[in-house]
Amino acid sequence: MELVNVGTQRACGLIREKIVTLELAPGAPINEQELAEELEMALAPVREALKLLAYDGLVVITPRHGLYVAEANLSDLEQVSEMRLALEALCARLAAQRATSDDLAVLEALRQEQAQRAAGIEKATAEATRGLFDLDHKFHQAVARAAQNRYLADTLERYYGLSLRLWYLALPHLGFLPSAVEEHLGLVDAIKSGDADRAEQIMRRHVGDFYDNVRGALPAEGE
Amino acid sequence: MESEAAAGRAQDGAPQRHRSGLVLGIDTGGTYTDGVLLDYYSRRVLASHKSLTTRRDFAIGIESVIEGIHIQDPSAVKMVSISTTLATNAIAEGKGKRVALFLVGYDPELIASFKMENHFATPHYYYFAGGHDLYGREKAELDLQGILAQVGQLRGKVEAIAVSSYFSPLNPEHENRVYQAVSRISDLPVVLGHQLSTKLGSVERATTAALNASLLAVLQDFIIAVRRAMERRRIDAPLMVVRGDGTLMSDEFAARTPVETIHSGPAASAIGGRFLSELDEALVIDVGGTTTDIALIEGGQVTVSEEGATVGGYNTAVSAANLLSIALGGDSHITLGREQVIAVGPERVMPLAQLAQQHPEVRKQLLTLRQRPRGHVTLDWLEYWYLLRGPGEAIDRWTAQEKALVEFLGDGPRPLPEILKHLKLLHAAQIGAQELLRQEIIGKAGLTPTDLMHVEGKYSQWDAEAAAAALDVFAGSQYQDPASLCQLIWSQVNEMIVHAVVTFLSGKRFDLPRRRAGGQQLSGSVSPPAGAGAEDEDIGRWFFYNSLYSAHPHLETQIRLRQPIVGIGAAASVMLSEAARALYTDLILPEHYQVANALGAIAGSVMVVEELLVYPRLSDSGLEVLGYYVQASDQRQEFEEMDDALAQARALSEERALGGAIRSGADSPQVEVEVLSDGLDSFRVRAKAMGSPRLMD
Repeated sequence: MELVNVGTQRACGLIREKIVTLELAPGAPINEQELAEELEMALAPVREALKLLAYDGLVVITPRHGLYVAEANLSDLEQVSEMRLALEALCARLAAQRATSDDLAVLEALRQEQAQRAAGIEKATAEATRGLFDLDHKFHQAVARAAQNRYLADTLERYYGLSLRLWYLALPHLGFLPSAVEEHLGLVDAIKSGDADRAEQIMRRHVGDFYDNVRGALPAEGE
Repeated sequence: MESEAAAGRAQDGAPQRHRSGLVLGIDTGGTYTDGVLLDYYSRRVLASHKSLTTRRDFAIGIESVIEGIHIQDPSAVKMVSISTTLATNAIAEGKGKRVALFLVGYDPELIASFKMENHFATPHYYYFAGGHDLYGREKAELDLQGILAQVGQLRGKVEAIAVSSYFSPLNPEHENRVYQAVSRISDLPVVLGHQLSTKLGSVERATTAALNASLLAVLQDFIIAVRRAMERRRIDAPLMVVRGDGTLMSDEFAARTPVETIHSGPAASAIGGRFLSELDEALVIDVGGTTTDIALIEGGQVTVSEEGATVGGYNTAVSAANLLSIALGGDSHITLGREQVIAVGPERVMPLAQLAQQHPEVRKQLLTLRQRPRGHVTLDWLEYWYLLRGPGEAIDRWTAQEKALVEFLGDGPRPLPEILKHLKLLHAAQIGAQELLRQEIIGKAGLTPTDLMHVEGKYSQWDAEAAAAALDVFAGSQYQDPASLCQLIWSQVNEMIVHAVVTFLSGKRFDLPRRRAGGQQLSGSVSPPAGAGAEDEDIGRWFFYNSLYSAHPHLETQIRLRQPIVGIGAAASVMLSEAARALYTDLILPEHYQVANALGAIAGSVMVVEELLVYPRLSDSGLEVLGYYVQASDQRQEFEEMDDALAQARALSEERALGGAIRSGADSPQVEVEVLSDGLDSFRVRAKAMGSPRLMD
């Protein structure tokens, strides 16, 4: 049984949530002591967690100016999107070539769940959109698993967190994209039938659309 | 309540030993939360404290214990260790989280024919195709789609998922696949049977998995609460949790395997008893407020039950100390049952002496009650109900009667007859206050052994006169004199303890007849209760009573306990001395015996067990052995020869146990490897790594 440091893991999850949902704004300084008190946790796990988040690119640690939340701006968006476009597409291609029957069962279950949820949502509340994004995240993770490449999955996981934060920045101007559900349907079919080219193509478009939408909704650089 | 010398670090400039380390042990029992601060290397107890356990939120009691100990330099505390009845209580009271249990490859008809469904510890169990046979071969294809569809349907209905696949210890493939798939579509925690037990009992494994899943959140919340309490007190140290067999695990481990904390409280007392008495052979008896727990120390170790722990009527595959717990303690309610039979326990109430101390009007009422003529007072007048805390926000959900009761108790404790009159009811059973009692909004008080100790001058913490008045009323109602009644009750208590010792050690069962309060002709000594021998054909029972009371004119019998009794708990000296005499042995009450349970939480060793299975790989026909598997929870290797497989299993289990123990905070752990035969060329290779906790500097 794998041993995890409960404190560090918990602190990491809580702080990540704060950063991604912009409760800790991009560029804001972080005071470890205050953060620990706010979370009612010891300093040590909070410190460890911040180091992990720095590795994930959500926190910046500087020798002189201490800690702060990483900036998020259009140039980040461009860089992250380039990376994700290439890797997610590769991921979809590999998944179509390598997915096991267990992987397919998981993808199918997620797709159905998503269709049900999307249909059940009458109003695009933040809560409902959040739930759909959570499912979207799981879907991308499942495709990454189906690609049977641990390093690829780990890398994509890091970029997903950065993407989610960008989406939160754009949120006031943007909802969840209903077309995403249909795209997932097409993607599952392509992976099932082992059509690597089509899977790659659908994924590239799917991720590309996401960034186009976010880009359009984000405030212009340098405001 | 009690707090001895405050702790400080040794200040002398040239200490003989460089190693110094304070460790804090905490035991959250059914009635009290005990804490003790120990200098780990010199084994000196520096301070101790007791406060009431707060079942609604254990952290409150824990924080007040930490506060009561007055630790001057929190940074000197190198380890905190805690034993808790949380898991046991949550199961017994059905307060764990809702769990879905997925049974893969189980035969529903077989389970039904043995009526095993009630053993699973959750009403939400589902059967799916899959599983393996007893040679680890796939029995049927895994129905993963069915499982994932079920997960979708369960959304919002359960808080955790447990999976047990048939013969999963031999081949956990299906459990692992279910884990991989389910955790990709759901955020619920998923517990796998094979990770908790390598034993082959499929029902026990499923039960263990379900219980573990239901306790995950409960214990995680508890650990977070303890950590928060430590943080507020500026204690930055590793946290250990006591297992049911008395060994320690790190809090990370405990958060994953909460089911292993079942019975950790009694196990800690036994370890504490051994630590204080330094005896390698002894019977440890812990007399608490609610229960009395008995455990055996052999060769310096607490004996561990071969069968898994049983809790709340469920059989688990979890290893736990071999112990017997009876519902008898210092705060057991003394009542009269049907046919005037005296009962001590099982309910725990606040002693009247304590209630009277806190509420002068109760004292006044009891003294007035004493003046009323005999036979005019029913014993209901000795049962008080009182408000423990404010109603809080939950008041909207209460029934009108519950509200009326709480309002009525708002002015102070009331005896039962007044409550019944106020609510216009005839019998206590009609009040329907179980929920209020369980949530500790109201409490009950009554006559208890603690009151008798006050009357006899053996205890002086609370109001002895009020206790004496209550005893007079009780005795008067039965036309007895108080001293004889006391003697009768103590005999009853003593019989219960000796009976528990005899049944625990012998493994034989017999019932204890209850004695009547009236009609006993007392002439100096107490005799066996009626129906306990003479006309009875049960020689065992005759032997028991004859040994206790030397009743027979010609035949003398004795039951002698070879080992001394180590008494633990505040009431141990009073409640155990008679039992020790009756068993012809010594009662040892070591210094600090009142907080031995908390000491036991720190005196245990850190232990990690790694078990691997070795079993033959058969040809499809089942007639030929093709090789041997070494099966670990996450990997399987194959060897041609059995000896090679066993050697590899030994090496791998040893390496893993050692690594696990070091990660869990053991100081230079020692590893023992055992090979147990399971028959049919199958072996269980068990490596056990143990070491003292490593104190961080």
